[in-house]
Amino acid sequence: MPSKAYKLPIKGFLETSFVDWNGYISSVIFLGGCNFRCPFCHNRELVLFPERLENISLTYVIRQLRKYSSWVERVVITGGEPTIHSSLPELLKILRKEGFKIKIDTNGSSPETIKILVGESLVDFVSMDVKGPIDRYEKWCGQDVDKGKIIETINFLLMSGLDYEFRMTFVPSLHTEEDVYQTARFLRGAKRFVVQEFRPRDTINPNFMNLNPYPLEMLDRVRKKVQEIVTT
Amino acid sequence: METTDINLFVRTSEETISDWNRGKIVEALLKETLIDESTADEISREVETIIKKSGIKFITAPLIREIVNAKLIEKGLETARKMHTRLGMPIYDVGNLILHPNKENANVPHGPEATNLTLAERIKKEYALLAVFSQEVSDAHMNGDIHIHDLGFIDRPYCSGQSVEYIKKFGLNFPHTLSMAKPAKHPEVLLAHLIKFSAALQSNFAGAIGWDAVNIFFAPYIVGMSDKEVKQLAQMLVFEFSQQAVARGGQAIFSDINLYWEVPKHFEHTPAIGPGGEYTGKTYGEYEKEAQRFAWMLFEVYKEGDGAGRPFFFPKPIVHITEKFFKTEGHLDFLYHICDVASDKGNTYFVFDRGDTAKISECCRLSFKLEERDLEDAKKPWRMRYCALQNVSINLPRIAYLAKGDDAKLFNLLTERFILAVKAHKEKRNFLEKLLSLGEDGPLALLTMKKDGLPYLRFNIASHLIGMVGLNEMVQVHLGEELHESKRALKFGLKVIAHMKLLAEKMSKQEGMRILLEQTPAESTSYRFARLDLRDFSPFSGRIVKGNIADGKVYYTNSTHLNVSIRLNPIERVTSEGIFHPLIEAGSISHVWLGESHPSKEAIADFVVKTFRYTTNDQIAFSPEFTTCNTCLKTSRGLKTRCEYCGSEDVDGITRITGYFTKISSWNKGKLGELADRFRNENFFSYSKEVANS
Repeated sequence: MPSKAYKLPIKGFLETSFVDWNGYISSVIFLGGCNFRCPFCHNRELVLFPERLENISLTYVIRQLRKYSSWVERVVITGGEPTIHSSLPELLKILRKEGFKIKIDTNGSSPETIKILVGESLVDFVSMDVKGPIDRYEKWCGQDVDKGKIIETINFLLMSGLDYEFRMTFVPSLHTEEDVYQTARFLRGAKRFVVQEFRPRDTINPNFMNLNPYPLEMLDRVRKKVQEIVTT
Repeated sequence: METTDINLFVRTSEETISDWNRGKIVEALLKETLIDESTADEISREVETIIKKSGIKFITAPLIREIVNAKLIEKGLETARKMHTRLGMPIYDVGNLILHPNKENANVPHGPEATNLTLAERIKKEYALLAVFSQEVSDAHMNGDIHIHDLGFIDRPYCSGQSVEYIKKFGLNFPHTLSMAKPAKHPEVLLAHLIKFSAALQSNFAGAIGWDAVNIFFAPYIVGMSDKEVKQLAQMLVFEFSQQAVARGGQAIFSDINLYWEVPKHFEHTPAIGPGGEYTGKTYGEYEKEAQRFAWMLFEVYKEGDGAGRPFFFPKPIVHITEKFFKTEGHLDFLYHICDVASDKGNTYFVFDRGDTAKISECCRLSFKLEERDLEDAKKPWRMRYCALQNVSINLPRIAYLAKGDDAKLFNLLTERFILAVKAHKEKRNFLEKLLSLGEDGPLALLTMKKDGLPYLRFNIASHLIGMVGLNEMVQVHLGEELHESKRALKFGLKVIAHMKLLAEKMSKQEGMRILLEQTPAESTSYRFARLDLRDFSPFSGRIVKGNIADGKVYYTNSTHLNVSIRLNPIERVTSEGIFHPLIEAGSISHVWLGESHPSKEAIADFVVKTFRYTTNDQIAFSPEFTTCNTCLKTSRGLKTRCEYCGSEDVDGITRITGYFTKISSWNKGKLGELADRFRNENFFSYSKEVANS
């Protein structure tokens, strides 16, 4: 019987990326659908209307991965939110069998899934989006969120010994500078915390397209301060 | 001969006003043409009658000449008319030129020197087409079957690559210079000599001035210098080259510096020349550490960028990746270092010298594989002076329009065009030979100096380049598929280039001159060919040319490159494009356009090493895009309409046009069309849809 992984809604496949796994060339698989509605998210279609995007067959993806396997040894699974799909572990098993190293991008809403993936050594790197300070998480995510789960994933990653990173998108009019520092303090001691620049492109809440990104100078300053907070 | 006494003043080209003298017409006709005296006399009388009748009080010499030309045509004396023709420009055009920038070459700034250059080029171009090249060749250029590059520089060879050893050994001592300098004793002086000699060479060549293994040859001067001093020297070198707005029309010197992490095998046992032009008693193999320090510092300078953090446009640093590179200590650190620059500023060119081939690169694409004789020369590196006399490109898509799907016809036409391009080369070669034969009293005195017994320009081993524009569109017209669309298309493209390569070899033998294929940078040629074909092969060509027809931003894909706009895996691009590279001996390149993305140095390094190992690609470069602000002078990534720092709209975009970085505001329309199309390895969702639908 073919693996359930072949039913996964693969909506995008980038064969060669220079930027999705820091330090390496990687291939990227995009899974449709998400349990968050972050207003600033720039994968609007993928989150809200995954059915509008054509499915790419896993058979095709694997064929391409094999074709370039001497060049690309790493695969990034992103979304949407990959952990909402129950057959995610099946997909990772197939990729593992093919010999790939694997990175997962997640919003941390399913610590159970992350624990399973780590427990079964199906993942080499976890990149978790922390949307902002935990106390107002609904605001950042555009809906109710079980904050306990978010905290559980964060704590798990901090203690896991696994390679991981936390990322936060710093969104004008949504976050204040202090929000970034508050988040940084919460993640103190983390291996890596990356503050990402907001890009007004194809956002879930159309009003966010009219926002001007923060000036780069400010971002540079914020990033510096964040590093100080996280590493002290 | 008698002159009628009419009351008329003539403004001559010598800035004087003379009385009317009909005899001058006769004199000129007899001196410049082959017509007999009585015909000349008759024409002068007829011209005089016309002028007299007009009642004009002042007349210019050029106008008289044109009236004479009209008479020559009337009498069917076409040959005489051509010989008597006048080169020049309408006053309206000159006015415009002085006021508005020239967009043919984005490297030329706008200013009085640039205007001088354009004016001079216009006349020399006309001269070249009328007097240097045969009518057949000139016509083929004018109608866009072929393109003879740099016609405005008809009296110069194309480009030149050489060794710092020449100035280390002989100092600066040119024919007719006001003062001579003995070989440099200090690194700063050697640097000054290098820059000045580059500037002098630039005024004798149309294109790039390249320097081989610069860090290796500087090494003996670097012994004993502190890191800070070496960095200072590196900074001086890059700034001096990039800020010398003195060459052709006030441009920077179009300069390349070739760099090695290891001491290349062919220089390992070469006796090193040190301060004062004396042998140091060591070989270059023993200067590896100093050479490495200099190379490292040069890239630190590139990484920092200019005073506003922008990438340096010149000199272009070309790093040779060889088997020995990977066996040399510290190579991984250096690879990360230059990849950091590639990602951050884009400067680095990675040239792959696989196996035992040694190469010297000269300009944006041009490189030479060193042959037996060259390796012998490597023991006396000052002799390593290479030059291409001319570059001629063939309009490939046009051949396909004409062949109408017929293979035999297509290859026949290609052969015909190739023979024509060789004919153009022979004509230019004869012309240059004439100039060079005048020796140190001739216009190319610098290139005839014989410091080591041989003329500086080694004419007998000079190359003649034949380029190609729009292989992708040729295949598209002929097969209905672009190069990337099927194996069949790619294979056919390969067949075309293999045919050209065969022709180059055959004709080299037959003509006794070195003819090589090159990927033409074709900064303006791809635009020109596309425009001419839109005019002559519509409506069909309208579906073929790339870019935006509505606003005239059209182009053909450069050389053997794949369509720049398709969402193509960079692995596929360097692999597929690399298939052509072994056939194109004078050098090729693949571009990876980065856009806004800012990959880690490790990811770039990973890609570079695999390109070396798994493909036949000759050279790659990564091109980021920048926006630089004229208000706050800061530079940010990506092409933006507003400064991300201060919000000012007074910004310039910067990225690689063909083989070099420049401000986008200076680009011609064809290149702007291409820029809009370039796939930047972003935007992959529509990609997923396409894959799913296919």
